[in-house]
Amino acid sequence: MRRRSLRLRLLVTFGLGSFILSSMFASLTYFGVQRLLVNNQQQTDLRQSYVNAALVRSTLYTSPPQLSNLLTSIQKATASIVLVQTHNQWLARSDASSTKDVSKGIIKLVNDGHPVQQTLNVNGQVIFVVGVPIPAVETQVFEVFPLANLEHTLRVLLLVLVLGALATSIIGMSGGLWVTRRAVRPLEEVSLAAALIADGALTTRLVVTQADREVQQLTESFNEMVSQLVQRLERDARFASDVSHELRSPLTTLATTASVLQQHRADLSPAGQESLDLLLADLSIFQSLVEDLLEMARSDAGAVPLVMESVEAIELLHQSVRSSARRHGLDEPVVEVDANVDDPLVRVDRRRFERVITNLLDNAHRYARGVIALRVTRTATQLFINVDDAGPGIPVDERDAVFERFFRGRAAHDRGIARGTGLGLALVRDHVRAFGGTIAVLESPEGGARFQIVLPIVEGGQE
Amino acid sequence: MARILIVEDDDHIRTALRLMFEGEGFVVDDAPTGEIGVALFTRMASDVAIIDVMLPGMTGFETCQALREASDLPIVIVSARDDTVDVVLGLESGADDYVTKPFVPEELLARVKAHLRRRPEKSTNAFKLGELFVVPDEGVVRHSDGTELHLTSTEFRLLTDLASANGKVLSREDLLERVWGYDYFGDSRLVDVHIRRLRMKIEPDAANPMFLVTVRGAGYKLVL
Repeated sequence: MRRRSLRLRLLVTFGLGSFILSSMFASLTYFGVQRLLVNNQQQTDLRQSYVNAALVRSTLYTSPPQLSNLLTSIQKATASIVLVQTHNQWLARSDASSTKDVSKGIIKLVNDGHPVQQTLNVNGQVIFVVGVPIPAVETQVFEVFPLANLEHTLRVLLLVLVLGALATSIIGMSGGLWVTRRAVRPLEEVSLAAALIADGALTTRLVVTQADREVQQLTESFNEMVSQLVQRLERDARFASDVSHELRSPLTTLATTASVLQQHRADLSPAGQESLDLLLADLSIFQSLVEDLLEMARSDAGAVPLVMESVEAIELLHQSVRSSARRHGLDEPVVEVDANVDDPLVRVDRRRFERVITNLLDNAHRYARGVIALRVTRTATQLFINVDDAGPGIPVDERDAVFERFFRGRAAHDRGIARGTGLGLALVRDHVRAFGGTIAVLESPEGGARFQIVLPIVEGGQE
Repeated sequence: MARILIVEDDDHIRTALRLMFEGEGFVVDDAPTGEIGVALFTRMASDVAIIDVMLPGMTGFETCQALREASDLPIVIVSARDDTVDVVLGLESGADDYVTKPFVPEELLARVKAHLRRRPEKSTNAFKLGELFVVPDEGVVRHSDGTELHLTSTEFRLLTDLASANGKVLSREDLLERVWGYDYFGDSRLVDVHIRRLRMKIEPDAANPMFLVTVRGAGYKLVL
């Protein structure tokens, strides 16, 4: 959502910004040029009209009948219309002109002996009217200049400027788009890479390109960060593995010595025997813990490759359940296989699969008086193995957390339950994920917990 | 009174193991190196051997090979790592079984006893395998020209148990129970490596077995 808004914001900013700037520039240009052109034209027209008024006056003195010819020639030369009034009578005027163009106000002012100039808009036509009084002969000369040519020029200018402004806005927007892409793409790449890394693809790195310095810096520091992180993860995994390795030899000696003591149990005093029992009990926890830690460190570090085989799931399940139960002296739970489950093959590491079953049985034994049944169903592509118990169940808010390492739920705190290693279910999840499957906690039909393993069914495969 | 050879370089573990096996009535010969172990074995003729993989000088694998060349005795290797590489290497060099440190002492004891207890009990009728002639009663396999083909006791047991199944498929777990003699869900690699070794000996072409056939997802069967 944020990414989209940044992109949109940049686009809008650039588009709007260039639009506002270019329209401001266009308006300034337009009004400036208009003012300049109109002023120039009016100056010229004004001067022209005085010259024409002088001509009219001399014609009136010398040969009044020539006035009409004069006016026609003026109109031809300047495209303006000249109206002459003597003793409040319209004396002569150019062809096709109208006294209506000259307003009463102007006429009155000129009659009073004031020269007048005014820009008028008559029927959508802009005209420039100049009135010149000639008191000597009680005559007023009015000249009407059309500004149509100027208007046309200005309209063309306006069109050009508007088009220019639009083009600038579009260019601005494309610029925005380009900048956005350039600025946002590295961000998108970073976020994609970060997501991949979060999903466990720790070898993911950004490609260092010849891009802008800032982007290159981001890329480099991101890669550096990931490398540091990976190193740290590896160091942690190696440390756990090293520690467990170092514990092996002394632990072997301890366990063997304790079993020698057990052989000589009869020689011990009652206090000695009781101490020996405590020693043996905790040694076995210690031993399981080190084994689990080693197994976990190995799968963390990816040191031990999975030995994946295609196996008949139901047969493997029967075998695993039987041997897990026997080895740990537990009651063997029934395996209920749905009628539509024939003999699906799954791809697993047999040893780790057995470990998964063992840990689930052990977990149910500790917290729920054992597994009631393992119920197997399938869809076209997936096999569901439900490990059900009739215990107290697992609260909804703990159903994800039970797979965390060293997690201890309320159930474990409430009723002093024999300690496990705290790694059993975490290993279960690691292994099931390694098989490409998932595991989740639901509720069993008996109201207890249901650990549901979902494995992809493979059609073929090789040993 | 069984005689056990323990080859282990860690003094504490070696001593503890000696005490434990002596407590169980074994006669124990212990050696801190492979060289001493081999020398002890030739003099004492041990019934069973426990060999640590990580030894200074002669490695556990080499020691195992040296013992195997001289005798059929059951050999259990003790590996520091549960890696496929270590386990398979150990089994390839002739071991019958393996445990990983830190092992449960009682389990090691149980395995050693199971190996010693293991004697051909069920007698299957003699049968032909291509040009080979297997005689379970005598515990020998002969070529058609009368010369003997040497199998270790584990290999022989594997072969005769598969034969007694009458062409039925035996899963790896079944074989672990029948051949190794203790019902623990061991590592299927144990079976796989021994099957491979057996194929090298009895099959004309071990890469394309015609007698000892793999049934995908299920196990192995012997086609007579």
